[in-house]
Amino acid sequence: MKHYRKAAYAAVVGLLAVVVTACGSSGGSTAASSTTPSGTTPSGSLPLKPGENPAGQNVYNGKRGGTLTVYSQEDFQHLDPGESYFSLDYAVIQANQRPLFSYPPNSSTVLEPNLATTVPTVANGGITDGGKTVTVHIQPDVKFNPPVSRVVTSADVKYAIERGANPNVGNAYFVPYFGDIVGAANAKGGPISGITTPNTTTIVFKLTKPTASVLIGALSLPLSAPVPQSVAAPLDKHAPSLYGSTTVAQTGPYMIKQSSNGDFSGVGYQTGKSLILVRNPNWSPNTYASPLYKPPAYLNEIDVNIGGDSTVIGDKVLHGSNSVMLDTPPQSIVQQAYTSYPSQITFTPGSGTHYGGLFTQSGPFKNVWYRRAVWAAIDRVAVVKARGGPLVAAPMTHFIYPGNAGFAESGGYAGPHYPWNLDVNGNLKEAESLMKQGGSPSGKFTGSHVVQIVSSNGGDSPAIAQIVQQALNGLGFKTRISLVQQAVMYSKYCGVPAQKIDTCPSGGWIRDFNNPFTILVPTFSGSSITPTNNVNWSVLNDPAVNSSMNNAELVTNPAKNAQAWANIDDHLVNIAAGLPLTFDNQPNVRAADVRGISQLWNVGTWDFTFSSLQNP
Amino acid sequence: MTSGSAELLLETEEAVGSVEVIPDEIVARSPRALFWRRFRADHVAVVSATFILFLIVVAIFAPLVVNVLGLSGPYVQNPSALNIFGSPTGPSAAHPMGVDQLGRDIMSRIIYGTRVSLTVGIVSTVIAGVLGTALGLAAGYYRGAVDTLVSRFVDVMLAYPVLVLGLGIGAACGVRGCLNVGGHMLIQPGMTTVIFIIVLADFTYIARIVRGQVLSLREKEFVEAARSLGASSNRIVYREILPNLLAPIIVYSTLLIPLNILFEAALSFLGVGIRPPTASWGQMIGDAQNYIQTAWWYMVFPGAVLLLTVLAFNLVGDGLLDALNPRGNRR
Repeated sequence: MKHYRKAAYAAVVGLLAVVVTACGSSGGSTAASSTTPSGTTPSGSLPLKPGENPAGQNVYNGKRGGTLTVYSQEDFQHLDPGESYFSLDYAVIQANQRPLFSYPPNSSTVLEPNLATTVPTVANGGITDGGKTVTVHIQPDVKFNPPVSRVVTSADVKYAIERGANPNVGNAYFVPYFGDIVGAANAKGGPISGITTPNTTTIVFKLTKPTASVLIGALSLPLSAPVPQSVAAPLDKHAPSLYGSTTVAQTGPYMIKQSSNGDFSGVGYQTGKSLILVRNPNWSPNTYASPLYKPPAYLNEIDVNIGGDSTVIGDKVLHGSNSVMLDTPPQSIVQQAYTSYPSQITFTPGSGTHYGGLFTQSGPFKNVWYRRAVWAAIDRVAVVKARGGPLVAAPMTHFIYPGNAGFAESGGYAGPHYPWNLDVNGNLKEAESLMKQGGSPSGKFTGSHVVQIVSSNGGDSPAIAQIVQQALNGLGFKTRISLVQQAVMYSKYCGVPAQKIDTCPSGGWIRDFNNPFTILVPTFSGSSITPTNNVNWSVLNDPAVNSSMNNAELVTNPAKNAQAWANIDDHLVNIAAGLPLTFDNQPNVRAADVRGISQLWNVGTWDFTFSSLQNP
Repeated sequence: MTSGSAELLLETEEAVGSVEVIPDEIVARSPRALFWRRFRADHVAVVSATFILFLIVVAIFAPLVVNVLGLSGPYVQNPSALNIFGSPTGPSAAHPMGVDQLGRDIMSRIIYGTRVSLTVGIVSTVIAGVLGTALGLAAGYYRGAVDTLVSRFVDVMLAYPVLVLGLGIGAACGVRGCLNVGGHMLIQPGMTTVIFIIVLADFTYIARIVRGQVLSLREKEFVEAARSLGASSNRIVYREILPNLLAPIIVYSTLLIPLNILFEAALSFLGVGIRPPTASWGQMIGDAQNYIQTAWWYMVFPGAVLLLTVLAFNLVGDGLLDALNPRGNRR
């Protein structure tokens, strides 16, 4: 008994020591925030310091050599370019694969040829037949890595795209982006009649509709990276496909470290632990057609360490060397970097949105006035603060986000001028008047329905869910919050329409390529609703919206196309199709001696093929 | 060192020294009196018990306490109390323990969190105690097939990694609940789920301890005597054996309460416990981990209160063990 009491006293002393240490170790930023009196926080935005906006970054003139250490809290989801659909995966895919086209690191709007020799246009004869035929020529001397080690042919690209329709591969964007190819509607992984290869360096796409611009944009996605049928076909017979689990053919400047037979499991990739990229011996820098996109591949090796706490990782990177953080840094790291290490953080504008779904098929949010009321009541400024302040977010006012065609046409940052969209601080009075128009005379919901809020339990999602809950409670809705793991949230609840979850405030979207189609169609078109892995979180199936989208897709004039999508965006705000939260700027942190190059088109993720070390 | 006989001797001498008394009856202290005498002598345990009583009062009168202290309510979000980076601001006159990531007063949330911690800790311990005692009694007294069945069931439950089980149950029942009985979900997300998980974890230990005690007690002479007088098994179990189990059950329970409070904190920390916005110390500590570098108060204050509460229950349990053990050595 006596020894236990001693231990108890020691615990109290230890606690006091922790408190003293914590008080003593609080940095200047903590002191500043602790002296800010409540209720009088500074207003206005924070200016970016020199170098913090990666736009206009000098992507060349780096030094060759060295090993870059990358820290990623999250593991990669798919290393098969046909299955990959995640921004973290793209950081690796962009290094070890060569799709037909790519966006250079400092452009999110202009495509450049990667595996292709040029981007098809009407002027160069790549787009013909009124936009229903697209012809692409590929470089003649690009080779796969060992042990395949042969020249890439057009047949490899044809197979890569066709396997996207294979249920065992389950490519998430084959239907919306490649579904207009003749024969694609019924494809299941076999040959598609609308894709032909008249010779080893030419691929011809025949479309059912004049949607060439959509197809060309989609050919910048990993699905168009060549895949040798002899290697992948036996693996694609498994459900799910085993291609990318232990082996994958690679054409990029780097390849996943592997044994001599091409197996990388346990060598270059250990699930949940590490991934190593080394130089691809068969890659040549002389196989790129455009000087605007010519990866210099300065680094000798990229070592990715997977797992760990994001705060610890961020701290390690800021104080370490030759390292970068691949995930989104937490708010405390962003604050620390901005105030104390400004040269080591970048904020990439136009990095997508965060918004929530409002279930439109049943329940209280089937009522458009109730949806408008919730839109009016949400304090979007509070959400911005929960996400990390004006450096990383701005209040969302419509669905096409900055940097995209249609954003300005849809009202820019102010957005459409509907009464429920005017006050980003949340306006309860306006919300109550909208509730009255929806059939609640008191301005409050008086029904018995309990609104189910399902949110991710990671990062700032719980805080945002509680902000949404407060808005709903203010309108009289009884609410219940459930916090689950993000993967479970998507796979079991929010991505399953049959679950009828009233609102999922943890959603968000990044465009797939530079076309408003990719922002609005997957997320609000009735044709995009799927029984599982659904990303139309509001389960919106509005005939007017669907029809407008079908028409907008066919508009070829860029200015008219942007206006057409802006009109749809305006209509989505009119019917309050979702829960507006934030326009996002993506922070990324690196060590002081890393010359990190951000991929502006991929939320500023570090581009390993252009990044280098200051002192390799 | 004192003992019962020495106390009696002392009292007799004192009586003789003042007034002439003819002792016609020597009254021994009752077990309860002895217990309180021993417990009162343990000052650390008394202070700890006082602290626990203070917590119970705070929990019951939480709204009044918050009002009297002039604090904002535990669910009042105040974004203007955050700095421009969205970081919580520290201790101030308006918020003595600072605010959290939504601008809510931390002290207010700690006060309301007392309700959660004490409710979960005490209720789950009581339920686990009743369940474990019933099973242990049955297994220890009736032996044979009953003992085999109960013991194997307990062994199976002991083999489960409870935290992993908790994560699984939380994930499975976290949204719509589980065990539909007559259209009503028995396991509802939130406190019910937490108590259910903790009871699943705890009852096995109590069952084993009680079974062991019963195996010993059933062989005692007083049980033999009761049996020979024709007492039924039920009467023997509830009137003879159970009263002799109360001391170890009470002591073990007081030691179990702080463990359960920590378990609730861990489940909330992992996101399968108490639902937001309900204040829970564990959830506050979990939320605070992303702000430890810029808002130390967010983790330190709830952590300190949790530590002191757990410590207090442990010290009280320690004191009870000393006070209830008739063969224990006194300092």
